[in-house]
Amino acid sequence: MQEYSSQAAYDRGEAVCVIGAGAAGLIAVKNLRENGFEVDCYERDTVLGGLWNPENQHSPLYPHTHLVTSRSQTEIPDFPMPDDWPDYPSAAQMLDYLKRYAAHFGLAEHIWYGSEISHIEPVEGSRFEIVVKPAAGSAARRLRYGAVIIATGHHWVPNLPSYPGQDGFRGTILHSSQLKDGSRLRGKTVLVVGGGNSGIDIACEAAVNAAECVHSVRRGYWYLPKYLGGEPADYALARLQRRPRWLRGFLTDRLLKGHRELSARMGMEAPDHKHTDEEPIRNGRYLEHVGDGSIQHRGEVTRFDGGEVAFTDGTTVRPDVVVLATGYKPKIGCCPPGLLGVDGDSPYPKLLARMFSPRVETLAVAGLVEPGVGALPIFHWQTHAIAHWLHIRKGDPERAANFRQQVVSESAQYAVDSTGVSPRHHLAVDAEEYLAGLGRIIDTLEQEPAK
Amino acid sequence: MSLQVWVRRTRTPEPASVKREIAVIEPSDLLEIEARDDPDASPVLCCTGESAGAAAFGGLWLKRIAGAGRYAAAVSVRGQGSTPAAPGGLEACAHDVVQAAIGLPRQAVLVGHGSGAAWAALAAGRYPAAALVLVSPQKMPKQPPRPVGEPKVLLAVGEAEAQSKEAQATAEAYGVAPLTFAGNSGDVFTGAGAEGLLDAVLSWLGSKD
Repeated sequence: MQEYSSQAAYDRGEAVCVIGAGAAGLIAVKNLRENGFEVDCYERDTVLGGLWNPENQHSPLYPHTHLVTSRSQTEIPDFPMPDDWPDYPSAAQMLDYLKRYAAHFGLAEHIWYGSEISHIEPVEGSRFEIVVKPAAGSAARRLRYGAVIIATGHHWVPNLPSYPGQDGFRGTILHSSQLKDGSRLRGKTVLVVGGGNSGIDIACEAAVNAAECVHSVRRGYWYLPKYLGGEPADYALARLQRRPRWLRGFLTDRLLKGHRELSARMGMEAPDHKHTDEEPIRNGRYLEHVGDGSIQHRGEVTRFDGGEVAFTDGTTVRPDVVVLATGYKPKIGCCPPGLLGVDGDSPYPKLLARMFSPRVETLAVAGLVEPGVGALPIFHWQTHAIAHWLHIRKGDPERAANFRQQVVSESAQYAVDSTGVSPRHHLAVDAEEYLAGLGRIIDTLEQEPAK
Repeated sequence: MSLQVWVRRTRTPEPASVKREIAVIEPSDLLEIEARDDPDASPVLCCTGESAGAAAFGGLWLKRIAGAGRYAAAVSVRGQGSTPAAPGGLEACAHDVVQAAIGLPRQAVLVGHGSGAAWAALAAGRYPAAALVLVSPQKMPKQPPRPVGEPKVLLAVGEAEAQSKEAQATAEAYGVAPLTFAGNSGDVFTGAGAEGLLDAVLSWLGSKD
């Protein structure tokens, strides 16, 4: 660490450091401010909005990215989206929404742009020292904070598969995040690899633009349309939770049956998990494109061979462009892995209740979950809990200690048991259970202290 | 708003969207020399139970609020003023108030008059208002939700209704002592009593607590 300046760190007292000014970071800043904290938010890019901002140089947006969860299930609980927006807003509207949120709550003045955090470390017990690496290359700054919330997200480091012969492939290979413009697919033979929502959306994009579209998927998924029973699909399914348990299974099955049968008819492998275990595919156009032949659905890629790609079923295709929609790996570079409960080489943190560091009380991570439902409300309730917790910790350490116990017992509950192998499985939670757990945590925090 | 309340709300149908009439006067719209513009002051959003809706605030309130340097707005909920009628009761009206609030440039003070106070109270349960002002509340929910973000709350009632059950229940629910103004609920839009009330509200908003 010799490159850090030898100056003493600037002490920000009880202020909280938030890393990242994307959706989770902005919501964290607002909720911390609401609880009376001074906040400094550091953003490595020069714009806010994180992955939703196409001006962000690392933006993972692909052409025509839209929300896959509906507006009412995705909006921030205490700042709804305008109700004249469509059920499934676009990425541009999402960015507009986050900008409005930031302006409405005066968040911009707390954000330091172009400031990447290169390192954080605990000092003086529960306080933190952070090192800011300015983008311009001037000297690094060191500051001390009462607490740190990491909200850097997990859609930045592409998860790239490697197939035999891939290096010798003569066509173009792109990750979905590099496909900024749909016109790159026009008139080409396109192979899309990956069965997640991005893979499906890009395959549909290629179905109408490309000369030929082949889509490779290695396992079964739930293929759901964006609407079920005349309502946005996630809303329709969530509403069934209000029904008695015995009826719920029956009604859910009735809603999903037709689509399960349709995907079987289209030759898709049956999913090996429940539809709530991981985010289902939410795209009604996909199966229709398979049905009219504009998307050819294939199994896993086995090898690349010159200009040719072979699949497990023995068929081959000669694509001009291969789009790897294979997702992202979580990476929190600035934080020593031990603080996040990472063991060994696994990139996946083991956090208490999916947000608190198991080692230091004043370190939390917001937004490192794949809930399979709208993410912003999860970020809201997470940061609501974190902000309340920091607030109570400041005033009443005894209550804080009791609370800690509860978080530990809650955190055992919502790991999803899934046999899947894709990276996002490690971050998946069952939204219903996770929210219930968050609710119990928040209730404990908001109870009047026993006198 | 507790998480449980939010979950319940996301599983109930959203009220139909309507095109809402929103009257706005910004401090810079005023020609008076002495009008101040305070960019840090929270905007104010008013609603009333009277059928005129936003127009009721047009005569005195909006100008006076803007004159005090604040962005002043008033909304007509469904069925009021030129906002088309649409189904939905109390909840839908509160939804209209929240939707108007999120359209304002910054975190807003919610002012509700008459049965508008009930909508403002519900809206404050799901939108973090900068402050909540209830003027002569009527038809308040029995247990108004706890305002999110813990804004300061002002209850203003006319002398004539200060002893009413409604006023006392509201005062108790929010743990505040009511401010009384001359006259009754009908006198808040015009006349000397109205000006006195407005000045009291504005000075309360401006005070640091």
